[in-house]
Amino acid sequence: MRAVSIGKGVLWAVLAVPAAFVMHRYATAPDLWPGDLLRPTGEWSARLIIVALMLTPLGQLFPQSRAVKWLIRHRRAFGVGAFGYAVLHLIFYVLDMERVAAMLAEIGAPGIWTGWLALLCLVPPALASNDAAMRLLRRHWKRVQRLVYPAAILTLVHWMLVHDGLASALVQFAPLLLLQALRLARMFIFNTTERKTI
Amino acid sequence: MIFRLLPIAAALSIALIASPAAATGKMTCDAPQKQWKSMAKLQADLVKQGWQVRKAKVDGGCYEVYGTDPQGNRVEAYFHPVSFKKLLVSRRGEVLFRAK
Repeated sequence: MRAVSIGKGVLWAVLAVPAAFVMHRYATAPDLWPGDLLRPTGEWSARLIIVALMLTPLGQLFPQSRAVKWLIRHRRAFGVGAFGYAVLHLIFYVLDMERVAAMLAEIGAPGIWTGWLALLCLVPPALASNDAAMRLLRRHWKRVQRLVYPAAILTLVHWMLVHDGLASALVQFAPLLLLQALRLARMFIFNTTERKTI
Repeated sequence: MIFRLLPIAAALSIALIASPAAATGKMTCDAPQKQWKSMAKLQADLVKQGWQVRKAKVDGGCYEVYGTDPQGNRVEAYFHPVSFKKLLVSRRGEVLFRAK
């Protein structure tokens, strides 16, 4: 029991390290614009979404792996972490844009509304990421958590549009896309029955 | 099945990672560097035209400027380093202006 909680603490601490670096840079680099921190915060949010969604197909591929089982048990940390970095990303965006009118003026740009929508999709799963909400929602809880899938797709599109070129976004999403493709292939082509899971 | 897919995945990842990252390729200018006018001059000219400039750098041999255009859009814009001709203005990946 004690070992489990220490592991959990370490995981949350590790996931907070990039945020600490970002805040340190923001506090110490004088010629840094808030806009310069959009990239690291957005990328970390995307990475944690990717990891959270890789865990189920990884568990199906390696049902014996203790490491994967441990990660699946601690998936909440990745999901809440992804939301935390997305909020940080939004804060730097607001600081960078300075005026609400400026944000509204560009909300129709595909690179921007995909980001807003991705963040909105993450809100219900983040709010439901606690034991009380799990008990309250029961079987609907998983349905709420599945909003992370559209969030992932919107994040990928947002990233590809906002950033220069498709390569960096696709490289980081590749493992997830591959695992999910394998999962679908197993379901439809090989007709493997899938455990009821997200 | 998985073992047949893995090499393909590996090859794909390497191909993607290996693609050059230096220039973004959104715009290229090929004027000899000796003829370039200074980036500071471009920034000063833009401010006079009502731009707010946050950052300027070289990308693909052009000057790339991040800032707010006179219409109030937060944009990134490319200018020719010799003529200072406006070549491309985009907002969050959406092209607002492209020189003919």
